[in-house]
Amino acid sequence: MDSNKKYWKGLEELNKTPEFVEKNKHEFAEPLPIEEVLSGAGLASRTPRRDFLKALGFGVGAVTLAACQKVPVHKSIPYLIKPEEVTPGVANYYTSTYNGHAILVKTREGRPIKVEGNPGDLLAGGGLSAQAQASVLDLYDTNRLKDPQLNGGDAGWDEVDAFVKQQLAAAQAGGKKIRIISSTVHSPSTQAVINDFIAKYPAAAHINYDAFSYTGIIQANQQSFGKAVLPHYNFDKADVIVSVGADFLGSWISGEEFTKQYVSNRGSKALESKKMSRHIQFESGMSITGTNADARIPVKVSEEGLVLVALYNAISGTTLPGTKKLESAKAATAVTLAAKELLAAKGKALVVAGSNEVANQVVANAINVLLGSYGATIDLDNPSNQYKGNDAQFVAFINEAKRGEVGAAIFLNANPAYDYFNAKDVKDALGKIKLKVSFSSQKDETADLANVIAPNHHYLESWGDDSAVSGYYTVLQPTINPVYNTRQAEQSLLIWSENAVTDYYTYVRNNWVNNLLTLGGLSGQSGWETLLQTGFVKVAPKTAAPVTNAANVSAAAQLIAANSAKLAASGDDKVELQLYINTAIGDGSYANNPWLQELPDPVSKVTWDNYAALAPKYAEKLGVEEGDVVKIEANGYSIEVPVLLQPGQAQGTVSVAVGYGRTHSGLVGNSVGKNAYPFASFSNGTIGKTLVATISKTGEVSPLAQTQTHHSYEGRDVIREVSLKEYLKDPAAGTDHGKEHKTYDLWEAHERPVYDWKMAIDLNACTGCGACIVACSAENNIPVVGKDEVRRRREMHWIRIDRYYSYEKNGQAAADEETGLVTKEKEIAKLEDLDHVTVVHQPMMCQHCDHAPCETVCPVLATVHSSEGLNQMAYNRCVGTRYCANNCPYKVRRFNWFNYWNDSRFDNYLQNEHTQLVLNPDVTTRFRGVMEKCSMCVQRIQAGKLKAKIEKRPLTDGEIKVACQQTCTANAIIFGNANDPNSELSKALKSERTYYVLQELNVQPGIGYQVKVRNTIENELA
Amino acid sequence: MRNISLLFKQFSRTVLLLAGLTAMTTAANAQGDPKKGETIFKAKCTACHKIDKRLVGPALGPQITSETDDAYLIKWIQNSQALVAAKNPKAVKIFNEYNQIPMTAFPELSDADVTDIIAYARDEQKKLTAAPVGGATSAAPAETGPSALLIWGLIGVIVIAFIVILVLNKVIGTLERLLLKNKDLVIDEEPEVEGEPVDRLAGIKKLAKNKKLVFFVVLCGAIAMGSWSWVTMWNTNMHQGYQPVQPIKYSHELHAGAMKIDCQYCHSGAYKSKNASIPSLNVCMNCHKVVKTESPEIHKIYDALGYDPDKGTYDSTQAKPIQWVRIHNLPDFAYFNHSQHVVVGGVKCQQCHGPIETMPEVYQYSPLTMKWCIQCHKRTEVNFKGNAYYDKMTKVHDMIKKGEKVSAAVMGGLECSKCHY
Repeated sequence: MDSNKKYWKGLEELNKTPEFVEKNKHEFAEPLPIEEVLSGAGLASRTPRRDFLKALGFGVGAVTLAACQKVPVHKSIPYLIKPEEVTPGVANYYTSTYNGHAILVKTREGRPIKVEGNPGDLLAGGGLSAQAQASVLDLYDTNRLKDPQLNGGDAGWDEVDAFVKQQLAAAQAGGKKIRIISSTVHSPSTQAVINDFIAKYPAAAHINYDAFSYTGIIQANQQSFGKAVLPHYNFDKADVIVSVGADFLGSWISGEEFTKQYVSNRGSKALESKKMSRHIQFESGMSITGTNADARIPVKVSEEGLVLVALYNAISGTTLPGTKKLESAKAATAVTLAAKELLAAKGKALVVAGSNEVANQVVANAINVLLGSYGATIDLDNPSNQYKGNDAQFVAFINEAKRGEVGAAIFLNANPAYDYFNAKDVKDALGKIKLKVSFSSQKDETADLANVIAPNHHYLESWGDDSAVSGYYTVLQPTINPVYNTRQAEQSLLIWSENAVTDYYTYVRNNWVNNLLTLGGLSGQSGWETLLQTGFVKVAPKTAAPVTNAANVSAAAQLIAANSAKLAASGDDKVELQLYINTAIGDGSYANNPWLQELPDPVSKVTWDNYAALAPKYAEKLGVEEGDVVKIEANGYSIEVPVLLQPGQAQGTVSVAVGYGRTHSGLVGNSVGKNAYPFASFSNGTIGKTLVATISKTGEVSPLAQTQTHHSYEGRDVIREVSLKEYLKDPAAGTDHGKEHKTYDLWEAHERPVYDWKMAIDLNACTGCGACIVACSAENNIPVVGKDEVRRRREMHWIRIDRYYSYEKNGQAAADEETGLVTKEKEIAKLEDLDHVTVVHQPMMCQHCDHAPCETVCPVLATVHSSEGLNQMAYNRCVGTRYCANNCPYKVRRFNWFNYWNDSRFDNYLQNEHTQLVLNPDVTTRFRGVMEKCSMCVQRIQAGKLKAKIEKRPLTDGEIKVACQQTCTANAIIFGNANDPNSELSKALKSERTYYVLQELNVQPGIGYQVKVRNTIENELA
Repeated sequence: MRNISLLFKQFSRTVLLLAGLTAMTTAANAQGDPKKGETIFKAKCTACHKIDKRLVGPALGPQITSETDDAYLIKWIQNSQALVAAKNPKAVKIFNEYNQIPMTAFPELSDADVTDIIAYARDEQKKLTAAPVGGATSAAPAETGPSALLIWGLIGVIVIAFIVILVLNKVIGTLERLLLKNKDLVIDEEPEVEGEPVDRLAGIKKLAKNKKLVFFVVLCGAIAMGSWSWVTMWNTNMHQGYQPVQPIKYSHELHAGAMKIDCQYCHSGAYKSKNASIPSLNVCMNCHKVVKTESPEIHKIYDALGYDPDKGTYDSTQAKPIQWVRIHNLPDFAYFNHSQHVVVGGVKCQQCHGPIETMPEVYQYSPLTMKWCIQCHKRTEVNFKGNAYYDKMTKVHDMIKKGEKVSAAVMGGLECSKCHY
C-alpha cells in the first residue's frame, strides 16, 4: 500500500530487539534440540550393541504391557423419568438475564453449557460481552461454597435462619441500625424484597455500593437538573462524540450497548450511505475506546478536567474562572477543533466524561446543554438503572458502624473488604457489628469477616428479573437445579423478614402478574408463559422534558482547577496515577474466572496480571524497561507491579487496573496481580480513582505474559487503513482492487458444488473487545493454559485480536528508516511520536485458504480441504509434526503441548472433573500432541444443515451463526455461503473495501477483511 | 396406522384363542357368559382393573365374588357416580376407599353385558383359588431346559461318536488281522512289526532332507502365523459381537420381534437427536404397570423407580438409575447422528444393528469401524426424494439427469469434518 504508515504490534517489534528477532524466527518458542543432537557429542557418541538391544527389548515389552489394558466398560444411564422437554443430544434454550441483558442459555441434558445473546435484547441486540460469555463457567466453579456457614463452620439452613432472625430482632429491639449493602440493585423484584424487609425491620436501610461508582454523574445531574439519575446515552444519535476519559466502549456504564450504538454510525451500513460519526478522545491511559477514536489526544490525569473547562469555553465563547492553559499545545488545538465540530453538529453531538468528580460532570452537563444533547443524545427521562451507588452513603455507613450504631449488616453482591479503598476501616467497622451476613457464593474477603454466609445461587440457578434501563424489563429463570446447598439471597431475605410469600419464584411471579406484565400488554398465566419465552417486555420511552441547567458551572470550574493543581505531579519520582477497570476482570468479581484471566487485554494484550502502564519516553526517563517491577506508593500504601510500555499513555502518568490481587477469590484468581483499590480516596462526596503517587524502580524483573508479539507477520502489510476523505473519493481505496495482476496457481481449484463457507470481517466495526475469544473458548472447548504457558507463547485461543499501533511518519523519517539513518535525535523524535499512535484491531483466525499451505505439508493428511471450502482438521489423524504451523503464514495453528483437560497441572484453571460439565459435547477435547485451529464452528454448520434436511427445506442464509459472530455486538463478523449471491456474506465480500490478508501469496484465504476507515482530518494535531 | 392394525390383529387373535380355550374348559354359567364377559373385560376394564390385584381400582376377582347383589353391581358398573350421588352407603364407602377417583361410566354396556363380566370375574376368581400357586411356574424349568439339554446332548453325541469310532477302528483292525491270517500272510508280520519304527524315523529323516519340502512347510507356517497376527492386530479394539450382561434381561426378541413394538416407541431419540437414547423407565411403565407385574425382571424396574406395585405409589427417595452396559461405543472423536441416518437417510435400524428383533440379548452386529462407515457412504444413494433441502443443488440434478448414482460420498460424505470435529 502506498502509505507511509507503519504497523507494529509491540515496541520490541518496532525497535527490532534482538530477542524479538530471534523469537520470531520460530513458530514455537522453544525449538527442538535437533542441532545439539546432530552436532558434536550427540552424533559422535556410539550406542553399544548390548545397550541398544536392552533398550529395544524394554521398549517392546513396555509397549506390549501398556497395550494389554482391558477395554473399559462404558455405562449408559438413562433418565428414570425423562422430563418431556429434554431429548438427550438436543440442546434446549431458555431465556434469562445477565446483568440486565436478555440472554438465551443453551442447556444440554439439563446443564447450561453456553450463554448467548437474545436477539431481541434492547441493549446489545444479541451481542454479549466477554464476561457474560464466561459467566457460565462460574456455575461449575469448585471454589463455590457448598453449604451455608455459621461462625466459620458449615451449618444447616434452619440453624442459620434461626440465628439471623434472632439477631435481627435483637438489633431492631436494641435500637441498632440494620443495613443491607449491595452492589446496585436493578431488579424490580429484588428491590421489592428489600423494601418488604425494611418494612418488617424499620431500623433497616438499603445502601447501593458500587466498587467503581458513577456517583459523580448522578450527583452532577442532581445539581444541574434536579434529577439524581444516571442518564441513558444514545451514541447512535451522535454525529460527533467527544469523550474525556470515558471508556464507553469498554468498562464505562454499558459497554456492549454503547458498542452497538457506536458502530451503527461507523460500520459498513453507515459507510455505504457515505456517513461516519466522528469520535475524539482525550484520555491519559490508552483505553479500548481510545484505540477506536478518530483522534486520540493523550492528556494527563490532572488535565482531564481542564480539557472539559477549555471545551466549555470554546463552545460557549466565554472564559470560566479558574481556566488554565493546557500544557500540551496539541491538546489545546484539539480542543478548539473539537469545539468547532461539536457546534457544527449541534443536536447530534455528545460529550461524555469518565471522571467520578461531580465538578467534572457538571461541566460536561453544561457543555451538553449548550450542544442541545438532552432529549437527543442523552435521555434523562428514561434513565439507566445500571449504577445507583452513592459513595457518601457507604462512607457514612462505615462511620456509623465504627461508632457502634449498626447491629446488623447484610452484604449482597458487595465485597467492600476487598474493593473499598480503606480495607482496615471496613474490618474495624465490621468488628463492631454483631450480625454480619454475606450472600457471597464464595468465601470472599467480606464473607471471611462475616459470621453468617448464606451462599446465593449462581444466576443460572435463580429466578428473578432485571431492569437495566427504565422501560425495559427482563426475566431470569433457572436452567439447572442448584448445584450446591445454596439458597437464593432474595429467598433468604423473605424468610428472615417473615414475608407472607417465602418462595421467591412465587414472589417474582406475583410481582410480574400484578405490576409488570401489563406494561408489556400481557396478563395472567399465558402472559407469564409468553414472558418466559420472549424473555423481556419493553415499554415505549417517555418523551424528554426540556432541561434547564441550574448548576453553578463557574464554581465547578474553580473546583476543577483546584483539583488539577492537587493532582499535578511535581518532582521526578512523582507520577499521576489513574486507576481503571479493564474489560475482562472488571471490578474484581470475575477474578476467579480463568477464561477472563487468560483473555488478553484489548489494548496491552497482557494476560493474568495487572501492571503499571507507562509511556515509553517516560519509562526511559525513569530508567525502567518493560517487565521491570516498579514500586508505586501513595496514601501509605504501596504495590509492586511490572511495567508495561504503553504507546499513547500520557507522559508523567501511570495507569493501574483494579480487580487484581484478590486474596479470597478462589484458586484461579488468588494472588494474580496486585490490589490497586487502596489508592482511591474519598473527597467531595465521591470516591476518586486518581491521585499523585511516587514511583521507583525495585530492580526486580517479572516478565509479563503478553501475547502481542506472538504470531507475528514479520512486518508484512496486513492492515489496510484509509481516511474517510480517501474513502469517499474512492471506496476501494487501500485495497488492491483494480491492481490485480495475473496469478498462477500451483494447484487446481477446489470444486464447491453446494456451499462455500466464507467470512467477512469489518475492521471498521471491530472494537477489539475480545468477547469473540471467550465465546470461541466456550463453544470449542479451548483449554486455559495459565500464565507460564502464555509466557512460552503457547496460548490456545483459536481466534485472536491482533492490535497494531501505527503513527504517521513524515517523508524524511520514513526515508531515514529505509536507509537505516537513524540517529539518537531521531530516536527521540520517534518516541515522541509514540504519544500519538493510532490503533487498529484485527481479528485473526484460520483463514481457510483454498490453497492452504498447511495442507500441502502435512505428511499424514490430517488437514485437508472440504468441498464446502473448509480447511478441515482431523485430530485423530494428526501425529504432531507441527509442519502445518510452521508453514501457516497467518500463524493461527495451535499445538497441544499437554493433555490440558486431564492434567493435574492445569487443575487450577477449573479444568477438573467438575468443571468439565461445561464442555460442549459436540466438540472433541484434543489430546496432547495434536494441532488444532479454528474449524469455522463446523459443528454448527453440520447441525444447521441437518436441521434443514429434517425439516425438508433449503438452508436459509443467516441460519447458521458461528460463535464469534453470534457474540459480536458490533456485527463485525459475517459468516455465510459465498455460493449464494444473495447471502449477506456475498454482499459483504463484494464491498469495495474488501481485501484479503497476504493476498499476494495467492493462498486464496476465505476470510475477507474490510478496510479500516478513520474519520481523520489532516494535520489536526499539528 | 399399520402398526396399530397389526397390534390390533395380534390382540384380537389372542383374545379369540383364549376365549376358545375357556369355552372348552369351563361349563357355561347360567347367569352370564364368561367367554363374552372376558372379551368385554379386556376391552373395557383392564386399564384400571385386574382380576387378582389392585390397580387403579380394586381387584375384581375377590371384589365381585364377595358382592352378591348383582343388581347393585350392574348399576355400579354402568354408572358408579349415580350411586355415589344417591348416597348408597356401599358405593360411598368404596368410592372413598379408592381416593375418590370416579370410575368411568359405561352406559353402553347392557345389563346382560355386565352380567357376563361378573360371570367372568367370578369364574377367574374360582380358578385362582383352586389352582395352587406353584402351578403357574411349573413351565419355567422346561423353558430354560432345552438350551442346557442341547449342549449336554451334543457333548454326549460327540463322546459317543468318538467311542464308536474307536470301537469301529479296533473291530476293523481285528478283522484285517483275521483276514490276513486266513490268507496265510502272518509270516510277514513279524519283520514288518520290527522294521516299522526304523522305517518311520527314516521317512521323517528323508523328508527333513528334502529342502523344498522344509521350505514349503516353513513358508506355510510363516504365512499362517503372519495372517493370524495381522488379523488379530487389525481387529484390536473392534468389538463386533460384544454382548455384555445387562442389569435387566430385556429381550428385543420379545418386544420388537414377537410384540412388534416399533423401535421408535422406546428409542424416540433416534428420530430427533444424535443419540438414539435408552428409554427412561417411565416408558417401560407405560405397559409394565399392568403387564407381567409378577416378573422379577420387571420388579427391577419398580425398584429402580422406587415404585410400589401394591400401592401404586412412587417413592423418589428410593429411586436409583439403572446402569446399562453400553454396547455400541464410538470413539469420542467420531461424531455420529442418528437422526441424520434414520430420518434424512431413511436407514433402517437393522442395517447397522442387525436382526435386533431376533436378539434375546443385544450384541454389536456391525464392526463400527471407519472402513465400515465409508463403505456404506460410498454405496448408499442419497435419499433426496421429496426433500426440498436438495432442491437447489444443481450438481446433484445434473448427475441424476445423466443417470449417475448420487451416493453420500458424492455429497461430501467422506470428508473428515463430516464426522470429526
